[in-house]
Amino acid sequence: MSAWPLDGNSSFAVRGRSYPTGDAGEAPEAAPAARRARRWPVAAVTALLLALAAWQLGGAAWIHAKAALAQHLIASAWEGTKKDGAKRPWPWADTHPVARLTVPSRGISLYVLAGTSGRSLAFGPGHVDGTAAPGSAGNSVIVAHKDTHFAFLRDLHEDEEISVEDVRGRVTRYRVREVAVVDKSETRLLDPADSPQLTLITCWPFDAVRPGTSQRYVVIADRA
Amino acid sequence: MADGKGGYRGGVDGALADFIELLGKAILSGIGASVVLALLTLGLATAAGAQGKPNDAKTGTLLLRTGAAGGFVAAPKVETDVAIHVTGIVARTRVAQTFHNPGTDWVEGVYVFPLPDNAAVDRLWLRIGERLIEGQVKEKEEARRVYAQAKREGRKAALVEQQRPNLFTNAVANIGPGEQVRVLIEYQQTLAYDNGEYRLRFPLAVTPRYEPAQEKGSDPFFNDEKRDLTPFLPILHPGYAPAGSGVNPVVIGVVIDSAVPLARVSSSYHEAVVEKESGTRTVLYLQKEQEEADRDFELVWAPLGGAGPQAAVFTESRGGTDYSLLMVMPPQAAAAGQAARATLPRETVFVIDTSGSMQGTSIQQAKEALLTGLSTLAPRDRFNVVEFNSATRPMWPDALPATAENVGYARSWIAKLRADGGTEMAGALAFALDGRDTPGFLRQVIFMTDGSVGNEDHLFRLIAQRLGATRLFTIGIGSAPNSHFMTKAAQFGRGTFTYIGDLREVQEKMARLFAKIEAPVLRDVSIRWPDGSPVETFPARVPDLYQGEPIVVAAAHPALKGTIVVSGTRGTEPWSVALTPSPSGEHNGVGALWARAKIASLMDELRLGADEALIRPAVVKVSLEHHLVSRYTSLVAVDVTPTAPAGEKRTALVKASAPRATAAGELPQTDTESTLQILLGLLALAAAAVVALVGRYVPAEGTPGTGGAK
Repeated sequence: MSAWPLDGNSSFAVRGRSYPTGDAGEAPEAAPAARRARRWPVAAVTALLLALAAWQLGGAAWIHAKAALAQHLIASAWEGTKKDGAKRPWPWADTHPVARLTVPSRGISLYVLAGTSGRSLAFGPGHVDGTAAPGSAGNSVIVAHKDTHFAFLRDLHEDEEISVEDVRGRVTRYRVREVAVVDKSETRLLDPADSPQLTLITCWPFDAVRPGTSQRYVVIADRA
Repeated sequence: MADGKGGYRGGVDGALADFIELLGKAILSGIGASVVLALLTLGLATAAGAQGKPNDAKTGTLLLRTGAAGGFVAAPKVETDVAIHVTGIVARTRVAQTFHNPGTDWVEGVYVFPLPDNAAVDRLWLRIGERLIEGQVKEKEEARRVYAQAKREGRKAALVEQQRPNLFTNAVANIGPGEQVRVLIEYQQTLAYDNGEYRLRFPLAVTPRYEPAQEKGSDPFFNDEKRDLTPFLPILHPGYAPAGSGVNPVVIGVVIDSAVPLARVSSSYHEAVVEKESGTRTVLYLQKEQEEADRDFELVWAPLGGAGPQAAVFTESRGGTDYSLLMVMPPQAAAAGQAARATLPRETVFVIDTSGSMQGTSIQQAKEALLTGLSTLAPRDRFNVVEFNSATRPMWPDALPATAENVGYARSWIAKLRADGGTEMAGALAFALDGRDTPGFLRQVIFMTDGSVGNEDHLFRLIAQRLGATRLFTIGIGSAPNSHFMTKAAQFGRGTFTYIGDLREVQEKMARLFAKIEAPVLRDVSIRWPDGSPVETFPARVPDLYQGEPIVVAAAHPALKGTIVVSGTRGTEPWSVALTPSPSGEHNGVGALWARAKIASLMDELRLGADEALIRPAVVKVSLEHHLVSRYTSLVAVDVTPTAPAGEKRTALVKASAPRATAAGELPQTDTESTLQILLGLLALAAAAVVALVGRYVPAEGTPGTGGAK
């Protein structure tokens, strides 16, 4: 009850400024037009903001949709690759699946693509050219986006198991040895190793809003 | 009317002003709300991202995950000091690494560090206060178990593992808050001797660089622990405290004991301070400053009068076996070179890497080197040029005589080469090493690359299988070539590896290489041991000797009576020299060198496709016997008393070494715009909602007002 008079007062004050005395008769007819006139820019600004929201959210959704959908498309290319060698997931693709990465404890299953170009990373984790083939002896390095495929890395901890299936269908199991954050210039992580080792790299911090962070989150696993 | 008009106008004006005011309010509150939301979200996001102390997150700093959920701690800092003692052609080095834990948690420090390619790492000590705990060699898995157990139980422990023949890690468990732990590692190596000069390299280029060093007052390391380094003391110059800020300090000291006084000694890339102690002992030291971190430390010296040793043999007795290190310098007379030159013309195939990684100065250097190589050809020689990136492209299908016309054609062909595409080395190697021998020609392949390949072992096999009578010489180009690959490739190719790090070095190094390989000084080298004793030597087959190179052979044998005869073909004449070993009781580390050479040779067999099930036990056996770190064995030292609270407080961390300042590239960028887009989208949504609400609210105020008037 106490809110009403306040409200009424304020609206009265507004009215008092808007409509000088003596023109009260015109006011009722003028009001709807004025209201319309007042409303359309508001509606326009709202629409504009909504469009902006749709554009931005759509962009983000597109990134995530691409990341998720492509994995399904790659699934059949993977089966083909295992049977008769490198097969492209779609005719114009410039990459092909080279391994399948699974983390049983987290229900993760990802097809790893050859190379780490921005184009192929949108579709799946990329195996860094020149590092050991996934599942083979040596240091095999796989990178993926922190927002999509490798978002789960932040939860992965020591001693968790990671499996890699190679193109011949052989499955190699790894166990997480260590987790670290390094500067992006630490290319030493790509260096060969004597023992079978899997190095997973993504950007860090995971919550970074602006793209282009200079640090990397690294998970290193040894063959179990 | 005027009034009415005025009133009407006033009404319209009033309505307009009113409307503008309202719209302004709506938009302003919309913007205000979005800014607040934006700040809030960004603040939250930043706070979440910055958990690991944003101020510490400078380049090179490692923030590492602790056992505690989501927490990160700063990595410990490592100070290194290196003491090298050279006797003849053997050097023994002690590397002391001091780990400082700047944080407030118990942490584990893992430090990756390079050592020379042929380092035989055989000693480890963990220093805790006054106590010195010696490390034991164990099989890799066993050592890891021992280490892991100590780590769990809260005891201090150190574990030295070999990652690659020239790359090691040192893990130290349970470093307390504010504590420092010191680890000492020792290794043995043979020195390079070439053209009358000894060359000693200590890799620094990958020395880690972490957060700016905290201000250090008096450093206990320099005050207390000198006695620790007694045999090497002269090198630690008093008052040479680590001053470098922003870099983990490294101090290097070298003592050279030589049979004859040195004519000169110089540090190639750093300013070292030389102190002569006596006629045959030279002492020098170096403090590495930050700006010098991108180059290895290299020391070059030459014995007085240019008269290097003609022949020498060092012996060590260990466990009933004698070990010898044999060095023979073939005569260097220029006349011998001339005579040999008269024998055979050359067929030279230049192979140049034009892959994308060679872009920039690397391809320039390679071209320069190639052109220098062409200029050494005589018209009776034959040559060809092959470029490779994703594919192999020879200039001619077969080698042609080096006539002025052909060389001119090659020059313009080379000028047009561009660096682009992948690195498919196998095709180029297969083309150059076609297994054919051109009778009457000395066939040589000059291979110029930065060696950035992944399938090294496959390439080694290819070289070994197809070499024939050809010799493969590798030339490492660029600031950080894969020297392990190129050294091994040259070894399998029975040639040599030359590193060119600077455009200015091209002329000199290429000239020296070509002068050398124009003719081998000594071929078909063989060694005859007294009374046909069973002798295991490394290398098993002595390679051709070129101008200025010594024969260096490590051997294991029963006690020798008599002389060792080294023979070969010099030009067209037979040549031989006899040596008498003088057994000495001292432990000069020759045994370790022999063992290291044997391990290297076994690992080469593995690369060539030998069964790991056979190689592994052999490597383990020799490593355990000689107390060496290898691919299958590690050194581990464990403190007896627990110092850290056992159990949960463990902290896993990697301390990778710092970027090679010269290394190209960085790890791939792996974030998308999606977070930013979601944030912007949500902000726009929120702003839209606020604008709509305020917009709705404002006319609604007008409505009751007009309604009220009615």
